[in-house]
Amino acid sequence: MRLELRDVRYVYAPGTPFEVEALRGVSLVVEPGEVLGIVGGTGSGKSTLVQHMNLLLTPTSGEVLVDGVDATTLKKSELRRRVGLVFQFPESALFAATVEEDVAFAPRQLALDEKEVRERVLESLRVLGAGELAARSPFALSGGEKRRAAIAGVLAMRPEILVLDEPTAGLDPATREDFLALILGLRNAGISVVLVSHDLDEVAEVADRVCALQEGRVLAVGTPAEVFYRDPSQAPATVRVASLLRESKPEIGAPVPFGETLDALRALRGA
Amino acid sequence: MASRSLGQFYPVASPVHDLDPRAKILATAVFVVGLFLIDSTVGLLSVAAALVALVAVSRIPAGTFLLLLRPVLFIVALTVLFQVLFSREGVTLVEWGFFEVRSGGLSLGFFLALRILLLVSSAGLLTSTTAPVALADGIEDLLSPLKRVRFPAHEVAMMMTIALRFIPTLGEEAEKIKGAQAARGADFSEGGPLRRARSLVPVLVPLTVGAFRRADELAEAMESRGYRGGEGRTRYRELRFRKRDALALVLTALVLLVGVLL
Ligand SMILES: Nc1ncnc2c1ncn2[C@@H]1O[C@H](COP(=O)(O)OP(=O)(O)OP(=O)(O)O)[C@@H](O)[C@H]1O
Ligand SMILES: [Mg+2]
Repeated sequence: MRLELRDVRYVYAPGTPFEVEALRGVSLVVEPGEVLGIVGGTGSGKSTLVQHMNLLLTPTSGEVLVDGVDATTLKKSELRRRVGLVFQFPESALFAATVEEDVAFAPRQLALDEKEVRERVLESLRVLGAGELAARSPFALSGGEKRRAAIAGVLAMRPEILVLDEPTAGLDPATREDFLALILGLRNAGISVVLVSHDLDEVAEVADRVCALQEGRVLAVGTPAEVFYRDPSQAPATVRVASLLRESKPEIGAPVPFGETLDALRALRGA
Repeated sequence: MASRSLGQFYPVASPVHDLDPRAKILATAVFVVGLFLIDSTVGLLSVAAALVALVAVSRIPAGTFLLLLRPVLFIVALTVLFQVLFSREGVTLVEWGFFEVRSGGLSLGFFLALRILLLVSSAGLLTSTTAPVALADGIEDLLSPLKRVRFPAHEVAMMMTIALRFIPTLGEEAEKIKGAQAARGADFSEGGPLRRARSLVPVLVPLTVGAFRRADELAEAMESRGYRGGEGRTRYRELRFRKRDALALVLTALVLLVGVLL
């Protein structure tokens, strides 16, 4: 599905002294089957933006379109199934006695039969590398394990777009690599992924396109190269190093993401 | 912070905000007692005029302040209705089968309604012009004479401060968890009361777990900074009872006295 936000504005607590204009006219498209990275400083409106994608927040003004149709006219439950949103720190919403029960929450809301529910639960947990956690209490897991369980809980709805709000925040490098691999895996299976992140290297690695937000406005949209190379101070480490090197050695080519660099080195060593 | 709770502190600069919290608490107490001593509608109206002036001075927008009264409107309407229906005093104004409106019932209804509205408004003015921490400090101070009879004034005030401090935090947390469960297909508005109550389980469980975790963290943080109760503890903000605080108290008493006499 193609999800489009048109000139979306959002104001928190309007008409009070606590009023905050979090989005000031954001237009953005999530194309089918792409990984869209959303970056921006803290408070730039990323979390507010992604909550518009399944209409947990309705725009103060502006539109959200699903395949060209006004999303407010669709059934909310259906929209929320098709656009799976994983909140920032989703582990704080785990509630059931076992991980399996917790992951089963969303599919049960879809009124599937128990066999299908179980199938989806096991599949989601397996995809997240958390199959062995099924029988454990979600409250007795490590931070990374909780995060896996929480993401599985959304994936079990089999969404067409998976929106992840800072999924790798506070995780160790190995778990983070797992999550990035998962994102690419989902994309290969035809699912679009929206990845909100503070880590520009990670976005450069997996995103097809990047949207940079600043103070509730879109600063730039485009491929990681287009967005990150325009302003080197915003660039991932590899890009910054490369652009610094290029000052003295113009023969150095365009910078490559960390992953590609690593692959190239591995290939060299293997050769 | 999606919905401001009623009578929540409204942070603007005004002479009313500036008063010592103890003066405001005492003035509110005087006001409430006075309300019950006033027995004429004219008296209540004069006090109401003074309160309206005070709200204007406090720079709280009239609309915001009036929202505070919304929850009691039902009670007020009910009070008026009962007086009008059952009072047998005064002359008959309207007659309509069994139904009879008498002047006595109407004026008594008006009097009681005014009293309720003034009661709620005065308490609301106190909480919307006084920061929760200042309010707790004021209460602790006013209760401190009771320390002599071993009343834990400091502990009570500290508990109040912490509770007040965490209400908005828990509210935000609840919003977030509700959002996360709604994203997983939870629906909090559908079905009968029983189903709706059940649909809150996925929100209340993590909220409670989070609250206990927070309480643990807070206790540890307080201990690691050397907190061990009120004994010998100094304050960051000393309360100062100034001339204008005394003036405010005297004025309040005066206004109510006028009300009682009218
Ligand atoms: N529930 C709320 N009530 C009032 N204001 C809010 C609320 N949530 C967010 N805001 C404000 O809206 C703005 C955007 O917040 P948002 O959470 O979308 O930022 P973010 O880009 O996700 O930040 P972070 O990287 O820290 O997660 C901020 O100024 C924030 O203070
Ligand atoms: Mg955020």
